Amino acid sequence: MSAERVRIRLEPLSVEIAAARGALLISSLADHGFEFPCGGTGTCGGCGVRVLSGSLPVTDADREVFGADELAQGWRLACQARAETALVLECGQWRMDVLADSAGLPLAGMQVGAGRRGLGIAIDLGTTTIAAQTIDLGSGQVLGVETALNPQAGFGADVMSRIRAALHGADLTGVIRAALGQMVARLAQGRADEMVAVILVGNTVMHHLFSGCSVEPLSHAPFASPYLDAESFSPAALGWALPASCTVRFVQCLGGFVGSDILAGIVATGMTRGEDLVALVDLGTNGEIAIGNRNGVVCASTAAGPAFEAGTIRMGMRAATGAVSHVALDNGALKATVIGDAEPRGICGSGLVDAVAAGLSSGAIRASGRIAGGSKKLPVAEPVVLYQSDVRELQLAKGAIAAGFRLLLRRLRASAGDLKSIYLAGAFGNYVQIESAVRIGLMEAPQALIHAAGNTALRGAKLLLWAGDDPALPPIEHISLAAEPGFEDEFANCMAFPEAAGEPSMFASGLASGAHAG
Amino acid sequence: MAQIQELYDAILHGNAKQAHAVTQAAIEAGAEPLPLISESMMPAMEAVGRLFEEEEYFVPELLLAGRAMKSAMELLRPLMTASGQKLSTRVVIGTVKGDLHDIGKNIVASMLEGSGFEVIDLGADVSPENFVAAVEERKPQVVCMSALLTVTMPAMKTTIEALKNAGLRTQVKVLIGGAPVTSQYAKEIGADGYSENASGAVSAVKNLLAVA
Repeated sequence: MSAERVRIRLEPLSVEIAAARGALLISSLADHGFEFPCGGTGTCGGCGVRVLSGSLPVTDADREVFGADELAQGWRLACQARAETALVLECGQWRMDVLADSAGLPLAGMQVGAGRRGLGIAIDLGTTTIAAQTIDLGSGQVLGVETALNPQAGFGADVMSRIRAALHGADLTGVIRAALGQMVARLAQGRADEMVAVILVGNTVMHHLFSGCSVEPLSHAPFASPYLDAESFSPAALGWALPASCTVRFVQCLGGFVGSDILAGIVATGMTRGEDLVALVDLGTNGEIAIGNRNGVVCASTAAGPAFEAGTIRMGMRAATGAVSHVALDNGALKATVIGDAEPRGICGSGLVDAVAAGLSSGAIRASGRIAGGSKKLPVAEPVVLYQSDVRELQLAKGAIAAGFRLLLRRLRASAGDLKSIYLAGAFGNYVQIESAVRIGLMEAPQALIHAAGNTALRGAKLLLWAGDDPALPPIEHISLAAEPGFEDEFANCMAFPEAAGEPSMFASGLASGAHAG
Repeated sequence: MAQIQELYDAILHGNAKQAHAVTQAAIEAGAEPLPLISESMMPAMEAVGRLFEEEEYFVPELLLAGRAMKSAMELLRPLMTASGQKLSTRVVIGTVKGDLHDIGKNIVASMLEGSGFEVIDLGADVSPENFVAAVEERKPQVVCMSALLTVTMPAMKTTIEALKNAGLRTQVKVLIGGAPVTSQYAKEIGADGYSENASGAVSAVKNLLAVA
């Protein structure tokens, strides 16, 4: 019927397309909102893509537009390229803002110790994005920032697909060490001899893959790994252009799916310095929650799935140009804000939470999650609509987070009323409207307690770097939610939406009585 | 009999207390277990499945209805055992080794039970050996396996191979399900069927047994 097809994935939006083998990319990419500013003549450089997986030969036009460095990194002009193999491409024009952290050191309320001499680099190695900063260890000043997409994206978007690729023999360790080596070299440029220390934080899978530890223990229950300790390296062993005296250390993990990014977040929030009970929540595909004070911290991971990144939403997209990022209720109608003031093309995670919150308030969505009126669709901003299944996906995601939160509080014999503050970490936590998060029951606490905290992993990594030694922390206990009694009940309870802002969900009593009878 | 309708309503609305009380009253009034199952429970769970298909019901409603159904079943089961009455088809179900996700599996189990099958639930993280032992001892007609992670899916294949090696594969139909599972994967590993969701699992089992 037609020519053989090859699969192409476009990052960072994770758009999957199929193209005829050997055909120009321009035809298939243009259909997916990718723009060719000069009309595909190979002159403007606006359609740059970076090859994360597969290969595209370098063309003459590529040599005109890109430097040798960029060509080596895999940058090509999409308008000149033909798909001969399956490809994963990073689309330059869809580049996401990677959340770094502008805070210098010391932070307010911190004891200022004796300043150290030299420079250091703090790296937050995320599954999707990487953020790294150079710090003057004497003054605490941030001297440079580098951000990038994690090049392991070529092996899949989430940690499970990375584990799977690694178990099938793919070299994810070499890929990430090389990419970070380039970032480190750029950050250290001209002052490499002053580099004293590099510190890395990340989730447990990122830790294992960077360190070259087997991820096999993380591929099945009970998800307990013997390799959770901090790992130290010499720059030479990593192939990094830093002096031999510079130490490179990946901070220890807290548990199978709670990594040093959360440990760093605990440090960044100052949770363990006082009596007040403080919570840290990282809202991602793998949601992580830590709650505690100076006497101790409990933490857990909970599988929220990709809804907060709009991954399983029918018209979902990452927070890029054309995404509905916010929705408000205006005289009973939904009013949408679109990123880049462009024509709406889809909806991102923060827009989804807003749209559902607005739908609940207007009565267009019922507390059970059902879209009222039988159409099974909620128009958001022509042509963007929410489907019934999208609301369901959000219910699963927010149910997992809220249930995890309830179980950790129960473990501490505390209630939401005992919390002094709740910090939302990460990109989604930074952009989501807190009022909407409370309205849909994602966060079950008074709005005034909840604060977007930005990239707490990077900030904590800087604090660890600056302190030189690991700070004395109280015991941090990792709890496996799946093994916790009552998880299923809580998860189901938390899937329904609050009837009205601040009220408990309608199923709270229902499942509790069901459990007693059964 | 008023209780037939009352039990149907209690299950449909996920009211376990009510389902328990109505069943108790029906038993005291001399009702037989099998008619209660076929006239109240099965139509109620069928309606629940239909509402789920129509996106009216979601996971919490399925769990609630399942619990209500179970609270009635718990009263009926001892009566059936005592009088030697049996359900026609036995199903063994479990989440495969290495995987702890059991909410989806639990929903499938209660939908099957509510459709008149005898369900033996082995729980989560079930090794191939335990599946084999359950097939040997309980002699089910159907084995249902669930996996929620791409990295635990291969355990379905291992379990099917273990059934083959034990000489039991031809005695049972094998049905698989779970978010990452596809019909393509079911074919690849030699399963007899696959379902995308809980109500689909009921029709899949019926189709496999050709009792639809």
